[in-house]
Amino acid sequence: MDFNFTDEQKMLRDSARGFCEKMSPMGYVLEMEKSEKGYTPELWNAMVELGWMGLIIPEEYGGVGMGFMDLIVLLEEMGRMCVPGPFFSTVILGGYTLLTGGSEEQKNEYLPRIAAGELVFSFAYTEPGMIKFDPSHVTVTAKAEGESFVIDGTKLFVSDANVADFIIVSARTSGEANDKKGISLFLVDAKDPGISITQLSTLAGDKQCEVVFKGVTVPKANLIGALDDGWSVMEKVMLYASVGKCAEMVGGSMRVLDLVLDYCHQRVQFGKPIGVFQAVQHHCANMAINLQGSKFITYKAAWMLDEGMPATRICASAKAWVSEAYKRFVILGHQVFAGTGFMVEHEMPMYSRRARAAELAFGDAPYYRKVVAQDLKLG
Amino acid sequence: MNFGYTEEEEKYRKRLNEFLDEHMTEEIARQNWEDLGVGPEAREFSKKLYENGFLGLPWPKEYGGGGLSPTYDFILIDELGKRWGAHVPLDVGYTMTGHTILRRGSEEMKKEFIPRIIRGEIEFGLGYTEPNAGSDLGAMMMKAEDMGDYFLINGQKTFNTESHYADYHWLAARTELDPSKPKYKGISLFIVDQRAEGIDIRPMITMSDERTNEVYYDDVKVPKSRLVGEKNKGFYYIMEAIDSERNHVFVPARLWPIVDEMITYVKETSFQGKPLAADPDVQAKIAQMAIELEVAQMLADNARWLELNELPMTMEPEITKVMISELEQRMVDDAMQILGLYGQLDEKSKWTPLRGRIEWFYLHSFMPTIGAGTSEIGRNVIAQRGLGLPRG
Ligand SMILES: Cc1cc2nc3c(=O)[nH]c(=O)nc-3n(C[C@H](O)[C@H](O)[C@H](O)COP(=O)(O)OP(=O)(O)OC[C@H]3O[C@@H](n4cnc5c(N)ncnc54)[C@H](O)[C@@H]3O)c2cc1C
Ligand SMILES: Cc1cc2nc3c(=O)[nH]c(=O)nc-3n(C[C@H](O)[C@H](O)[C@H](O)COP(=O)(O)OP(=O)(O)OC[C@H]3O[C@@H](n4cnc5c(N)ncnc54)[C@H](O)[C@@H]3O)c2cc1C
Repeated sequence: MDFNFTDEQKMLRDSARGFCEKMSPMGYVLEMEKSEKGYTPELWNAMVELGWMGLIIPEEYGGVGMGFMDLIVLLEEMGRMCVPGPFFSTVILGGYTLLTGGSEEQKNEYLPRIAAGELVFSFAYTEPGMIKFDPSHVTVTAKAEGESFVIDGTKLFVSDANVADFIIVSARTSGEANDKKGISLFLVDAKDPGISITQLSTLAGDKQCEVVFKGVTVPKANLIGALDDGWSVMEKVMLYASVGKCAEMVGGSMRVLDLVLDYCHQRVQFGKPIGVFQAVQHHCANMAINLQGSKFITYKAAWMLDEGMPATRICASAKAWVSEAYKRFVILGHQVFAGTGFMVEHEMPMYSRRARAAELAFGDAPYYRKVVAQDLKLG
Repeated sequence: MNFGYTEEEEKYRKRLNEFLDEHMTEEIARQNWEDLGVGPEAREFSKKLYENGFLGLPWPKEYGGGGLSPTYDFILIDELGKRWGAHVPLDVGYTMTGHTILRRGSEEMKKEFIPRIIRGEIEFGLGYTEPNAGSDLGAMMMKAEDMGDYFLINGQKTFNTESHYADYHWLAARTELDPSKPKYKGISLFIVDQRAEGIDIRPMITMSDERTNEVYYDDVKVPKSRLVGEKNKGFYYIMEAIDSERNHVFVPARLWPIVDEMITYVKETSFQGKPLAADPDVQAKIAQMAIELEVAQMLADNARWLELNELPMTMEPEITKVMISELEQRMVDDAMQILGLYGQLDEKSKWTPLRGRIEWFYLHSFMPTIGAGTSEIGRNVIAQRGLGLPRG
């Protein structure tokens, strides 16, 4: 057993921390929430310079060839400073989808360009009918016509579609709305005239979109994975994505706890720093419990994914638990900051708004409890 | 990062499970818990554990141990826990006092006690709490007067759980009687024959039908050789041992049987023609138990790893303790809700599901948030020692 990061990972962490603090202070984050695009080319290009886009992409495709645990280190730091932009959509959703399901040609064509920071990806899998989270609910259709497929329907809550070069879309090629079989994945040019993209106005100020496909024709070569078997690819990608989200939440928790502890020493009421009051101390202790639990379950899940072990249960457990722990966490943080933390330009709301968005992304706690129940052979 | 066990460790686990399949009964498991209290069956089982090479592996070779990593004891406790066994039968000696003897005891004391602890032969009663010294252990009044060649001990302990079957009393008493001296600097630890003349042990019965004890000392003479380490350092010895003790005692694995039994129950029990296992509410509850146990296991693994590598522990074992003691209450509540009306039946009723184990666990679940330090004290420790917040 070893709970240490490697020296390389520690170096990555230190440099990422410095970078994120410098490039993504609160003022920048709040400004980006209001901006159309959601990030600036300066930030993106600086991340490209550091090699982050290619971190998990194997060297043969122009990447650095590091593992998921290395990416976790990075995501934690990005989550810590709420770094905006389509990094997650591109590297994790785009990258792992291609790595998991892509053909050799597809990998050769796209992965080097992702690594070089030339492409932005978006992954369109949720739909208006998904009243409860369930990624197998796919009604967008893809009909075979000669050497092509024609895609029709609406996807919703699609992150970063507004800035994407390519959209990976889950579409039904056979079966009924909630069948896992019969879903196929397609790589679609986001600039296709049959696609219309509208930004949604969200709680966390992140860029989620409605994406409407009207008679969008894609060549058969753009099918990712086997026909009707997109689910097996998606399922795997969802594991990486949900654990990656956990890492962001862990990073956010780390930052909030630092801020809270500083405040506990500085803020004086009744002639004493508020950190001496036991009620406040117990809030902080509860934050520490939530943070430690979130960290280690996330690391365990990432480690099992890296080792190629069966990881469904651990990843589902992580996303279910961390999502709820983070919500408890920000409630406690707000409580300690009291009035001052309720102000819009305070850092606290930045995290509490994201806590909700992060819970909802890639499946919330009730969804993952169902996954765990299935893994326990219930139902 | 690496969260796996070595091949050797997994082999040990496998061999251990084969042994437990054959020798571990529910009767023994319940004697290991405070539930029934250690009787002849658990004592016999303790010896067998040793004879089959499962006790003492991490302990120093010179006292009869195997000189291996403490991981082996963690595996042992985990596997016992998964079978309702909670811990080794003679738990206080093996997981608590033995380690302090190794750290602080004289050579003579180590030779006298450690080999017998390793062989699973002796048990200790833990003698800390007094009527006016619970969370505030430093306030203890039990008096040990230095009489030259022995100590003369008088006073009362309470909640000393193992004392009625223990061979020895692990006693904390005041050796500095000058009230102007700081109270933490006047306490010493002793090993007292639990049956010594002048000791009176009176039962106290808990709400979950376990026995603990009041222990009265009336002019009990204790030889100087039974003072552990140095005089007046007892409080510090207790504190330095506490993290490792938590790592050995607050073991998430011991809550797995609740999950396992509930899974069996909901699969085998139907309502309106459908197994309970198909009910989304039931699924969510059981899944949440498994999820929280997984988290708790990681907290425990982290604290154990710090201990194995002799890295500083500030709040980690405390976090595990607070988490799993409160988790036990949540789990039992969910389990009771799933059992519905039947959940209120105890083991004596013919209608009782799961042999009444859940009903017993409900009663028991009020204890872990109190015993060995309350959740409030735990949170104080996490905030002050762990997070560096100022003392009031
Ligand atoms: C939206 C909003 C509207 C408001 N409207 C008004 C208004 O109209 N008029 C007005 O006068 N005020 C108003 N307030 C101020 C409000 O009353 C204060 O925010 C509140 O009393 C808490 O004070 P504080 O924010 O300074 O927190 P602090 O007093 O600094 O508290 C910080 C933390 O320390 C804890 N703490 C402090 N002392 C102790 C103690 N002795 N024991 C245990 N814990 C302690 C607190 O519980 C809190 O967790 C408003 C606040 C908000 C957020
Ligand atoms: C079944 C059982 C078995 C036990 N076995 C043993 C044993 O074998 N040997 C042994 O020595 N002891 C044993 N104990 C005693 C146990 O360690 C004490 O019960 C425990 O430390 C709490 O002390 P108390 O019950 O006196 O509560 P108190 O200390 O009186 O606490 C009462 C309440 O006040 C709170 N409180 C106290 N101080 C503070 C503070 N500073 N800040 C915030 N809140 C505070 C507590 O958290 C609690 O909620 C056992 C207890 C039980 C229930």
